[in-house]
Amino acid sequence: MRAKAFFTGATVAATLALSGSLRAAAPATPAIAAGDLAFFESKIRPLLIDKCYKCHSKESDKIRGGLYLDTREALFQGGNTGPAVVAGKPDESLLIQAVRYKDEDLQMPPKGEKLTDQQIADLTEWVKRGVPDPRSSATKGAPAAYSGVGKNHWAFKPVQKPAVPAVKNTAWVQNPIDNFVLAKLEANGMTPNTPAERTRLIRRVYFDLIGLPPHPADVQAFVRDTSPDAYAKVVDKLLNTQQYGEHWARYWLDVARYSDTKGDAKGQDDLRYPHAWTYRDWVIDAFNSDLPYDKFIIAQIAGDYFAQYLEKQYKSKSTSLPAKPTAKPKAVVATDVAAEPAVEMDKMEVVADRDPGFRRMMAAEGFLTLGNQFNGRKDDIIGDQIDVTTKAFLGLTVTCARCHDHKFDPIPTKDYYSLYGVFANSRQPVELPTLVAKVPQTPDLLDYLAKSAALEKRQADLKKERDELQAAIRASGGKGKGANKAAAGKIDPGKRQQLQKMERELQRDIGNLETEHPGAPARANSLIDNPRCVDFPVLLRGEIANKGDVVPRRFLEILSPDPKKRPEWREGSGRWQLALAIANPKNPLTARVLVNRMWQQHWGAGFVSTPDDLGNMSSPPTHPELLDWLAATFVENKWSIKSLHRMILLSAAYQQSGENNPAFAEKDPNNKLLWRFNLRRLDFEELHDSLLAITGSLNLNYGGKPVDIGTLQFAKRRSVYTLIDRGNPPELLTQFDFPSPDVASGRRYETLVPQQALFLMNSPMVIETARKLVDRPAFAELKSDEERVTLLYLAIFQRWPTKQEVALGLGYVKSNPSGTEVTLSKDAPATKITARDARPAAKKELYSKKKNRYNVDIGGVYDNKPLDAWTKLAHALFQSNEAIFYN
Amino acid sequence: MPTHQEPLDHLDFNPHQPCRGISTNIEDYFQTRRQFLSRMGMGLGALSLANIIDPHNLVAGDGAGKLTAGPLTPRPTHFPAKAKSVIHIFAQGAPSHIDTWDPKPSLSRLSGKTITGGEIGLGSPFSFSKYGQSGLEISEVFAKTAAHADDLAVIRSMWTDIPAHEVATVFMNTGSLRIAKPSMGSWLVYGLGTENQNLPGFIALRGSGLPPGGATNYQSAFLPGVYQGTSINTQAPSVAQMIQNIRNTYVSKGEQRRQMDFVHQLNEIHAQNLQRDAALETRLESYEIAFRMQTEALDAFDINKESEATRTAYGIGASGGGGGAKGPSETGKQLLIARRLVERGVRVVQVWHNGWDHHQQLKTRLAQKAGEIDQPLAALISDLKQRGLLDSTLVIWGGEFGRKSSRDRNGYDDPGRDHNAKAFSTVLAGGGIKGGTVHGSTDEFGSASIQDKVHPHDLHATILHCMGIDHTKLTYRFNGRDFRLTDVAGNVVKPILA
Repeated sequence: MRAKAFFTGATVAATLALSGSLRAAAPATPAIAAGDLAFFESKIRPLLIDKCYKCHSKESDKIRGGLYLDTREALFQGGNTGPAVVAGKPDESLLIQAVRYKDEDLQMPPKGEKLTDQQIADLTEWVKRGVPDPRSSATKGAPAAYSGVGKNHWAFKPVQKPAVPAVKNTAWVQNPIDNFVLAKLEANGMTPNTPAERTRLIRRVYFDLIGLPPHPADVQAFVRDTSPDAYAKVVDKLLNTQQYGEHWARYWLDVARYSDTKGDAKGQDDLRYPHAWTYRDWVIDAFNSDLPYDKFIIAQIAGDYFAQYLEKQYKSKSTSLPAKPTAKPKAVVATDVAAEPAVEMDKMEVVADRDPGFRRMMAAEGFLTLGNQFNGRKDDIIGDQIDVTTKAFLGLTVTCARCHDHKFDPIPTKDYYSLYGVFANSRQPVELPTLVAKVPQTPDLLDYLAKSAALEKRQADLKKERDELQAAIRASGGKGKGANKAAAGKIDPGKRQQLQKMERELQRDIGNLETEHPGAPARANSLIDNPRCVDFPVLLRGEIANKGDVVPRRFLEILSPDPKKRPEWREGSGRWQLALAIANPKNPLTARVLVNRMWQQHWGAGFVSTPDDLGNMSSPPTHPELLDWLAATFVENKWSIKSLHRMILLSAAYQQSGENNPAFAEKDPNNKLLWRFNLRRLDFEELHDSLLAITGSLNLNYGGKPVDIGTLQFAKRRSVYTLIDRGNPPELLTQFDFPSPDVASGRRYETLVPQQALFLMNSPMVIETARKLVDRPAFAELKSDEERVTLLYLAIFQRWPTKQEVALGLGYVKSNPSGTEVTLSKDAPATKITARDARPAAKKELYSKKKNRYNVDIGGVYDNKPLDAWTKLAHALFQSNEAIFYN
Repeated sequence: MPTHQEPLDHLDFNPHQPCRGISTNIEDYFQTRRQFLSRMGMGLGALSLANIIDPHNLVAGDGAGKLTAGPLTPRPTHFPAKAKSVIHIFAQGAPSHIDTWDPKPSLSRLSGKTITGGEIGLGSPFSFSKYGQSGLEISEVFAKTAAHADDLAVIRSMWTDIPAHEVATVFMNTGSLRIAKPSMGSWLVYGLGTENQNLPGFIALRGSGLPPGGATNYQSAFLPGVYQGTSINTQAPSVAQMIQNIRNTYVSKGEQRRQMDFVHQLNEIHAQNLQRDAALETRLESYEIAFRMQTEALDAFDINKESEATRTAYGIGASGGGGGAKGPSETGKQLLIARRLVERGVRVVQVWHNGWDHHQQLKTRLAQKAGEIDQPLAALISDLKQRGLLDSTLVIWGGEFGRKSSRDRNGYDDPGRDHNAKAFSTVLAGGGIKGGTVHGSTDEFGSASIQDKVHPHDLHATILHCMGIDHTKLTYRFNGRDFRLTDVAGNVVKPILA
């Protein structure tokens, strides 16, 4: 029996009564007679499914002529040429005319696949009987025009853990990843490369995991360590460094379109987000503490709920209640997703034991709150939140459905407005919560509070003045016709502008206080729900004035376990439920998207080349089975990102050399089959940080407020701490493909433009780094020039030079006109700290009205003392390809 | 098992034999002096190695000479063509065609009254006049450019797919709505190479900040990186600041050349080990361009090398001067730089002129916007003509879509126009263009293009045609498919061709 649930005639009639927009209302039929039902089920339904559904069903990938034949209403509504049937009148029914093949322009099924005479007779009989049909539109209120394109796309299907394939060369296999990779290579008559040479492997894994080169001593230790787990030990060591989180967080910040400024701020608002960095630090912490990815998702969408949940759990623990917390998600918020108990909530010790870590979860909502402010336009802010949420976690471009149903993916406009309702019912609290529950009462804090109170007073006074002006304008009858001229005369025409100026100054002072004051407590850019949450209407064609049906807050149809019974989120905004729905292990996209992102970051190319879009427009995955195997395993491993790293890094595939193989390069030029490791260009962060690390000048301070590119701090701190102004992202960074902070960017370009070369050739920051490397006792005291060349190779390339290279280096130094003698410069630091660095960040021109838009000085101001031959050699090595590529 | 004391050179860890006699023991280089000295028992027999090869042979050589047949070398066109370079002025924000190049007297008559669709008509607040022998009708806001009416071809029947700035801007530049595809400039340099090997082949002149859609607008996407546009912030007060790190303040050019040749030698060794890789070659090329840019760019971007008269003609220093956005100064500077660049053989120059999104205050704001470009554009055309460059330079002015014939509902007392993808105008002049031409038309109110409609794919096909390229033949194989700028569409707009 094919039919799952028969609607009674009454239901059909009720449904029809609701759908007033139908072009030709289907005549209500009484309950179908048993004979008619049997006729339909035996003759008609199989025929429609077999011959028509391919082009005329909600299930079909392409709808022809706008006609659906899968419900009775749809038949009567018809397609582009009008209703398909007229009850009781076969000759007037387009459906019958079409199958009869009488009209040359109307022949169905097309291309001569004419039905048999018996089938045509059956259809005619069916129409004659009045089109008895038990089928009704299954989803209440589904738009008639929505075709549900592309539902059969692989990424919407559940993840099935595939069997690990067998391979011939079992000796090569280190873990199951290798089975998948090797099986494909063998099937194509190819073999993997030999293992990477050890100095190259350690350099690779260092840059890959922590974004910094290994210290030469680490290289040597690794080269010497012949134990079988030597490499695994390095991987584990790196995963446990703070630098790991700093490095990997940056890629998530790309996805989260992170910025320290608002872009187009609302009204007179200050441009800064004074506490954006608490989100950045939360992401770094999350990677470092291996926060399970499902919790990582939940915190960024519903960190406020999550914090409450953790707090409850923490309190119940501290009063020595049963070890297993009784509080289930249901206890935090009433939720009807309980039918899908998805996220394991009793494994939160990771964060819960770090009191008061739970409050920090609120900072995670910076993911949603730190976007462009679009001059305060709510619809655009929410559009951006939907965009970043669905791209980041689901690899879906849901915002395409803002004005019309998605053209390529099964995302109707209604789904967009279901999510719209979730975010529209959320807002930022007037006062952002502090990261710690009780801020210590330091003198700094007291001073801050006093200044803050003074600003609040100013704000209240200003509001009063503004209200008075409003009242005066109202009393004068407004600006239009019929205005009370006498009353209007009393209004100072410059008053409004004056108040605006005061508002602007006030906002700037508040921004200054929050950004600069040493006592200003760190705050979370969090969200709360509106006290009363409501559903929102669809905005037809995305126009505010053009309201359609109100849609319930609920999850995307295509990703719901049972699309016909989607729970409606009535408690609160629905952010908590949305978070749980995304973090549901059964969600077909969540784990796949993350695994693809991670693979891409390790290999330089993902299984799917568009990490933010796994929908119908994406290219098919290179290794679909491996992607699914990793996704399933990732969920089994409790969404542990570090376990995923370990698995990828410990595979033999990853440990291959990057050397070329002309025959394979011919066959598979883009290395889709992974017969070698890819050549990788350092991104800006890796380049910048490694320059500093190599000379030992990298300041490894962890977290905190952002660092402006024009300060000496920039030339010391890791670049993840660089201040990012979305209105004007640092040019140097964008030259190295730093992505736009306005859109989720899961992948960086790896371009090679002349400006990158100019930076390495001419930037004082690079040249002074080279000088630092040679201008120190350890270099001067080396016994020979050969040793000196060797040292530079070890420091910059992390390997020993060959004879040829030593000779080459010596030749260059000796042929140099100046400074071949190694002498220490007398006045030690070459860099000058300027007054610029001493100035507090916010007083810089960056935020002033006439903001300085050029990054003239990178990393402060430098002297230009002459360079000796050794500095020139070091500088040359920094410019070489080997310094900026790893393989 | 090696002990801590043993040198490592017998270990098979490095395919390149470490230099015998040079310590492979890292502590020797990186630990304290005492530790270091205590371990210095090794021989130094390899010292003589340096003498085996003549160092002057190693460092000498003319690195630049090797690179002449690179990916930027000029290549033949598909058929003879006049235009050799393009100056594409992108009027971003969707300029109103009704107030600039597409007069609608019947709309003016119905201004303030209900027109089709229940909207309130908004006649143009600007007057139109006929110019030149061709009698091309142009709005007063472009009065100065209009003096060149007989050189201009106006396409009045442009239309595009989506009236959203970011998407449509990227579409106009890349012909792609969703997937990142190469920009038109990248395609042109890929197809034709460039005449000046010391400057990038494709330069995008912009103000501070990125245009909507970001760098995608001038990126090369799947084409090799060497074809991507180099974006320059022309608002910087000096040339050295426009192009970061353009000057080396430590060493002479000669010194730097020696260093660069040495770097190439290092790269050669590195590439051998990896048996060459396109990225390595590209980077080498980018260094050579960078090196030459230092001299060439400082000169090319320096408008102070122009006469006072020329700068004045371009409006530089006029109202709002000193780089203010309100006068023609900034755009004048951009266009003058653009002329200096095409004069030097740069293939494609894109000039970003943002801010045409006039939902309100159309009358003042559009006039002001047009005022920023009118005089410089007129000056550019005169200047190119005077130097005999107009025939070989295709000048394009246009935005990403147009505007409605009705008042924007959000315009309040001082109205403007809402977005409209169905109609807009694009203006072309110079190489290969028949001047004094109007192509296509919109309906009586200018709400939609109706006759001889031109889509961005068609415009792209036409621009490529003017440059001697058959748009169906300029392809690049990527992901198993031959891609082209015009996807599977595009018809050359022949009536505007000379």
